[in-house]
Amino acid sequence: MFKKILFATSATGACDHAARVAFAMAGRFSAQLDIFHVIGLPTRAYSQVVIDAKTRERVEIDEEYCDWVKEELRVYYEQLLEKLAGNHTMEVAVGETHREILRKVRNDPPDLIVMGGSTRHVEDSAFRNVVTGSTFQRVAKAAPRPVLVITRPAASFWGGFSRIVVGTDFSEGADMAVEYALHLARTTGCEICLFHAVDISGLPLGQFLTQDDIEDRLRVARKRIRSRYVPQFGDIRNYTVDVWEGIPGLEIVKYAREKQADLIIMAHHARRAESGEDRMGSVMEQVIVRAGCPVLSLNRTVFK
Amino acid sequence: MGKKILVIDDDPAVVEYLTTLFEDNGYATCSARDASEGLEVARREQPDLITLDLEMPGEWGPRFYRKMSEEKTLKNTPVIVISGLSGHKYAINKAVASISKPFDRDELLRIVQENIV
Repeated sequence: MFKKILFATSATGACDHAARVAFAMAGRFSAQLDIFHVIGLPTRAYSQVVIDAKTRERVEIDEEYCDWVKEELRVYYEQLLEKLAGNHTMEVAVGETHREILRKVRNDPPDLIVMGGSTRHVEDSAFRNVVTGSTFQRVAKAAPRPVLVITRPAASFWGGFSRIVVGTDFSEGADMAVEYALHLARTTGCEICLFHAVDISGLPLGQFLTQDDIEDRLRVARKRIRSRYVPQFGDIRNYTVDVWEGIPGLEIVKYAREKQADLIIMAHHARRAESGEDRMGSVMEQVIVRAGCPVLSLNRTVFK
Repeated sequence: MGKKILVIDDDPAVVEYLTTLFEDNGYATCSARDASEGLEVARREQPDLITLDLEMPGEWGPRFYRKMSEEKTLKNTPVIVISGLSGHKYAINKAVASISKPFDRDELLRIVQENIV
């Protein structure tokens, strides 16, 4: 299933949880692990002076510095590398982080990209662990490969996948997420938990819904899941279908917690992959930053 | 006969330390080195409380907890997470307590005493 895994890392604490998952997955699937780090951005085009993304210092880039950074990476991940049974490579690049990761993906396509949380969230920021980082957003929207993101330490304690939650809002993207989850279930024997949240977030703001209205919507959604997805399951019998009401992003996180799921799969809807204005959907973003398990993000290009 | 505690940890030194500590304080003990052995021992011994490490070879602690909580006779057994990993208190939502390695023995014994039924 995953023979080549790209672990794009800042080699900081923000990526430690992702490292745990990336190394565990490489071991579990006997995959090659490509560890990739972008040193930083040149101060001017083609300049040799670069602001190191990790230390924030201005450094002159040459072969020696790149080798030193690689050695630092090796030391940083020493304990995990000792336990890694399969092959690994280590590469550093200079440039804008998301562009270099995407370039690496294009030139040497992996089966999966693993990324961690944002490094920009300083300890006292109000946005710390509430929004995803811009590098992840840009990579996830444009990469023609699934991106596994791990933002909380608790999301890295599972040691593999065996119960997957797939969130659907019945969109084209959600259909693709279900398709991908079925593929994963067929190849790894995972259990699938198909979930939809009926959005009642307007209720405290004055939206009027009786309990009968809510339960009617739940019934309709359940029926819709059964008719839209269950026929595709074929020989997969190990699945459950659930519909809850609430705030969709939070309900998916709560559902995954209740099911003790070890993976959430979701697709996002951004059409303009490279557009900086097109942020990832808020539901997806909330799931990513709050989930207690890794989240697999898919975009349209994964299926092309 | 004292209450029984199952210690699940892949580090033999931790297992030895915990089982001795609990036995010295009047508890019966049993132990396992990983999640699958832990589940077998739990089914057989029906412990009154479980201490659980998170990072173990093969399946990790949360997956042991998931399997355990799906078994009728084990699902209400209190679990104390003992781990050196950061963020461990969020690993198993329904654990009765979560403590960091290295831990204070008196604090652990107090938590055990409070939660063992």
